[in-house]
Amino acid sequence: MELTPSILDLDWSEVETKIGRFIRDYIEKSGAKGIVLGLSGGLDSSTAAALSALAVGGDKVLGLLLPEKETYNIQDVKHAKLVAEKFGLKTEMIDITTALKAFYNTIPVFETADKLCKGNIKARTRMIYLYYYANKLSLIVCGSSDKSETMIGYFTKWGDVAADISPLMDLYKTQVRKLAQRIGVPKEILAKPASPALWPGQLAEEELGVKYETLDLILYGLEHFMKTEEIAQQLGIKKSLVDKIKSRWLVMEHKRRMPLTIKVQYRTVGFDFRLPRELH
Amino acid sequence: MREEFKVALAQISCKHGDKAANIKKMKKNLEKAKQQGAELVIFPELSLIGYTVKDEIYELAETIPGQSTNALEKLAKEKGIHIVFGMPELSERTEATIYNTAVLIGQDGFIGKYRKMYLPTHSVFEEKRYFRQGYHAEAFETELGKIGLIICYDIFFPEVSRLTRLKGAKLIVCISASPAVRRTFFETLTVARAMENTAFLAYVNLVGVEDGLQFWGGSRLIDSSGKILAKAKYDEEDLVIGKVKYADMRSAETFVPTLRDLRPELFDELKEGAEQL
Repeated sequence: MELTPSILDLDWSEVETKIGRFIRDYIEKSGAKGIVLGLSGGLDSSTAAALSALAVGGDKVLGLLLPEKETYNIQDVKHAKLVAEKFGLKTEMIDITTALKAFYNTIPVFETADKLCKGNIKARTRMIYLYYYANKLSLIVCGSSDKSETMIGYFTKWGDVAADISPLMDLYKTQVRKLAQRIGVPKEILAKPASPALWPGQLAEEELGVKYETLDLILYGLEHFMKTEEIAQQLGIKKSLVDKIKSRWLVMEHKRRMPLTIKVQYRTVGFDFRLPRELH
Repeated sequence: MREEFKVALAQISCKHGDKAANIKKMKKNLEKAKQQGAELVIFPELSLIGYTVKDEIYELAETIPGQSTNALEKLAKEKGIHIVFGMPELSERTEATIYNTAVLIGQDGFIGKYRKMYLPTHSVFEEKRYFRQGYHAEAFETELGKIGLIICYDIFFPEVSRLTRLKGAKLIVCISASPAVRRTFFETLTVARAMENTAFLAYVNLVGVEDGLQFWGGSRLIDSSGKILAKAKYDEEDLVIGKVKYADMRSAETFVPTLRDLRPELFDELKEGAEQL
């Protein structure tokens, strides 16, 4: 197997059709009235929003813009609105700063210097807004996590990853960008560097220490059972970097599963219950 | 025995665990197929209940004969048509031993059944968790000639189709529930199995999305020289009709006489090799 960028090429028309059918089918079977999703103005959420609108019609998709003071960026808001306009989504903007402050002020051990813990409150607060709208309006929450961040656990547990469906979760970040381009996500969004925006100036590639172009090929190699030596050698990078990514992938499994329990009875959630997720 | 007849490939999606709804859909397809002159209608693997029912299979499995085969027999009689469909078969001697079975019914009732021999248990498949494997290849005498039955992953193992051919099958029916990423394999292997056995092969795949798996459809009737005579749409429900004409097998078999050239002594070697793998 040759780890070159072209190995990540897919039949994008087929991928678009498949994801569209998946979203439509789920909405139909669940009996939901539509979709609610968070719109950050970034690549993933713009793509998830566009695909949702293309699948079920923009009038059935509600995009929530949930900015907060610390990471507020007028460009992001503009981009989110641009996508909404282009794909005919309904939107609502709610400033969550007050809600966040309530958490900061009431958590006795809160430390503002701990950027990660604080940032995770933001992602989890957005989840609460999304699920409130979902409950209230009989909608399903559509997540926008991609395969790159899901594999390395680069997300907030029970935060941005929380959703009923995640149509992009089997596409690496660079693949999402190609699909986005195909379906007409505005080019200023395609060109943006990825950021979870948990704190001001946070940039994914800086934090991870690797470009997505390389990360995705490393992850593709791991997905296909390649050894870390082989991946490093083929990509002309240090084995230690590949090992680091691999261990991050493995150690983050707890973020991708139901909570672990101790088996004491006949059939157990997460162990040996095997039930179809789809409703009858 | 009929030398020529029309086959309908009834590429349906199934409602999870809802036998009544699925039988109703089969009935509609039978009517449509009959109107177009089909004498055999083929439905996908586990089409009675859908593919991904998981633990619910224990409640859904039925003996053969049983309520569902009785219902399908009634339909076959009413419409004067042959049917192949797939269902979870509960062993008569146990409470929870289940086979992944293909059932062949004619206008006079039940003709035969085949229990899937190769149960995929890798990637997204968990069949060995739920099913006991079958032990025999099967081919059944019918008014439409001898029909061999195989199921999905069996097609990766040429000996299953070959055995049905050696038992006299002229038409090999492969019912399937194949998700989209496997399409290339099946598109290649279906043609290969028809060519290497110089027999007709009808492949009928499921469609629809079940638990995040998109089944790709693409059902097809292939003649004994590998030509695709009829092909259903990808990913969507479809009903297509193709014509089986057994006389065409003569020219295929003389052109590439794979059956004449079979070397039985190699099979012993194959057995030894497989045992030592």
